[in-house]
Amino acid sequence: MEIELQEISDFVSTIHPFEHLPQAIIEQLIKKMTIRYIRRGTIVPVEPTSQGRLYLLRKGAVTLLSEQQELLGKLGEGDICTAFCQLLETIKFSIHVEEDTLVYTIACRTLSVILQDYPEELSYLQKTSTQRLHQNMKEMEGKNTQALSLMQTTLSDVMNHSVITADISISIHNAAIIMADKNVSSLIILQDGQAVGILTDKDITKRCVASNVPVSNPVEHIMTTGLVSVSKDSDAFEAMMIMTRKHIQHLPVIDDQQLKGIISVSDFLRHEGRNSVYITNAINKSESVEEMQEHAQIIPQLQLQLVQMGAKAEHLAKIITAISSAITRRLIELAERELGPAPVPYAWVAAGSHARREQSSHSDQDNALIISDQMAKQDDQWFAALAEFVCDGLNQCGYVYCPGDVMATNSKWRQPARRWTEYFTNWITTPSPKALMYSSIFFDLRCISGDTQLVDDVRKKMLRLSPKNNLFLAHLTFNALKLKPPLGFFRDFVLIHDGKHNDTLDLKHNGLAPIVDLARIYALAEGVEEVSTIERLKRVSGTKSLTRESADDLLDAFEFISNLRVKHQAQQISIDVDADNFMAPSEISKLERSHLKGTFKVIQNLQNYVEIRYKIS
Amino acid sequence: MFSQWFGYEAKRKRLFDKAPAGPLKDYLSIPFPEPKTALHNTPILALDFETTGLNAKTDQILSVGHIAIESFEILLSSAYHQVIHTQGDLKEEGVIIHQITDDIKSRGQDVEQVIEKLLQAMAGKVVLVHFAQIEKNFLQYTCKKLYGMAPVFPIIDTLVLARKRLDQRTALYSPNDLRLFNLREKYKLPRYKAHNALSDALATAELFLAEIERKYDKKSPPLKSVLL
Repeated sequence: MEIELQEISDFVSTIHPFEHLPQAIIEQLIKKMTIRYIRRGTIVPVEPTSQGRLYLLRKGAVTLLSEQQELLGKLGEGDICTAFCQLLETIKFSIHVEEDTLVYTIACRTLSVILQDYPEELSYLQKTSTQRLHQNMKEMEGKNTQALSLMQTTLSDVMNHSVITADISISIHNAAIIMADKNVSSLIILQDGQAVGILTDKDITKRCVASNVPVSNPVEHIMTTGLVSVSKDSDAFEAMMIMTRKHIQHLPVIDDQQLKGIISVSDFLRHEGRNSVYITNAINKSESVEEMQEHAQIIPQLQLQLVQMGAKAEHLAKIITAISSAITRRLIELAERELGPAPVPYAWVAAGSHARREQSSHSDQDNALIISDQMAKQDDQWFAALAEFVCDGLNQCGYVYCPGDVMATNSKWRQPARRWTEYFTNWITTPSPKALMYSSIFFDLRCISGDTQLVDDVRKKMLRLSPKNNLFLAHLTFNALKLKPPLGFFRDFVLIHDGKHNDTLDLKHNGLAPIVDLARIYALAEGVEEVSTIERLKRVSGTKSLTRESADDLLDAFEFISNLRVKHQAQQISIDVDADNFMAPSEISKLERSHLKGTFKVIQNLQNYVEIRYKIS
Repeated sequence: MFSQWFGYEAKRKRLFDKAPAGPLKDYLSIPFPEPKTALHNTPILALDFETTGLNAKTDQILSVGHIAIESFEILLSSAYHQVIHTQGDLKEEGVIIHQITDDIKSRGQDVEQVIEKLLQAMAGKVVLVHFAQIEKNFLQYTCKKLYGMAPVFPIIDTLVLARKRLDQRTALYSPNDLRLFNLREKYKLPRYKAHNALSDALATAELFLAEIERKYDKKSPPLKSVLL
């Protein structure tokens, strides 16, 4: 064999049962293999077994469905499909290629010749497909708990049992009244007691109001017929797939022509929300950092799942942040168990994005300790040990150490409350741009565990000072203006050139950070205690610092860029790439491009405005 | 497109008449697949060279890798890789990329032998490459030196296929997107070690299958629709 096919040989040698075979046999096998690329959506016909081939999935995913279209199993990278290799195949089924798939294939006959001296391996490959599928399902459980949790959830657990219905004879107007009255966005239309159509608020907008159809017309004229429905026994995953594929928001559940319930996208979201609660519970029950680390690994998958179900960035960030807080709290509990109780009250605080509840799955840790003023000098030993335990644990769970050393392990950020007040007083009353550059992260502070009062007191004193100190606000502004939205982005590609992220747009630093900075300036100028960007903007809307219109514009801009980022990161997670903030121009559609341009304009205008307002003279 | 192919076949016959007896004449004696041949019936040879530099006139072919595609299946049994014993010392910046050292090179075969075998493998097939200029220029120039005449060969270029596809979309793309590695990533194809002639030929072959599947779905287009 050519040594250059090493990569293929390496791959094959990791797959059970080939891993036990000598290299020479692997090489013989590879020489007889061919490579095929099968497009998503293809249904691979089951050939007669005499011409059977073994398939090794190198990339992609396939689903095996029975004649009755029941899910028999799913195969992914590194799985083998022996289904065509059995001598007596009892189950009839088909293979549906769900993602573009690259397979290595070898004729079963050739396989049995080459493996004639390896009866164990051969018989393994010739096991009945049911046995194999069973095994594959088991392996999958470990890999994809999220999809599986939906697969194990029957629809009746998720769906809404009380369906609001109306008879086909009623008018659009009356239907709308029912919908408003019951506060629902869809109405199932019945004829002779059987579901014949669905009316959604979208139908009313599009096919009635926008098309100038009188509301006195019967609903029949504008309802959607040809109902897509599922049976009660389907699992939630199937239902979700149908809704995604058909682009529908509401799916009636019908059994024996009887309407049993209805399911909507928000039902899934609620269910997934519960799932994140499960993760949080699991974290709370963890007895070791290793155990927690395992639960934390699911976060990127959870993020992906939520995005696929249409979750908005704001919602997503809150869930991710809630999990971070749970992990931090549990680590503190474990540390206290080891170190004994704290000598004096304290507050463990998160700074930056965690404090603002704007984390994505890949965030650094930024934290600090505010300790009661009763603290004696020797008490610091206990707190240093606590900090080390928690920061190490966070790092192990995927929240890497803060490159700027904003962590409680740094003695500078592990201080009694009075020192913290001194810090803030200094930063505010005798500001220097450089000091503020490093400290601005502390103006976003949230108590994660311990005595909230300690944090609130420090914050109150800080907010009493900040609105009055224009020089401080001016320096903060000066720093904030260093990050500007790249308005020339689409004209001449003002993109990052650091080697790794060539020709990409940095959504975090060029898009989100300027808005976060502006919101912080407004909040500090108005003495608003809110920390998250959205809350800050809502609170300062209509004040001296920010008009209502501008606040709305900024909120829109923040939401739009956050959602772009979420979409981009979900895409990366789905192809097993580490999520980052760098978006390539090709990922951005024409429509998004013009929207993004408008968004950058909004940010630029408001940056110009604060620049004039807090001009350093 | 057709006239271009027509040009290929006519040129092959013309060159065949003039060519001196030997490997080149043998190669030219076998007709190319017809342009209306369905692509899945077209014998294809995915090919890649590593070279000592980018200039066909002053640099040399350092290694040759190829692998055959039949009925849209890549035949691993056909995998071939050979290092050429080139003249002169290798440049360090090149060695870093292709990792062929002077020692490895000195155990290679003479260029004549390798080109003869390559022409045998190419005969009657369409050559598949990513960014055709390198392989085309180097092969033509090397043949000219060896046989006093440059051959003609029909080419499918995966870079051109990808560029045509991207040009039809509204989204912007950067030239970087057209690189073999990046295109493969888009199709979620596995990562292979780059800059080995056989790995790259295999990588090109897989990318080709992906491009064709994406564009033509389950149908098999005629050869002429993808020829360079």
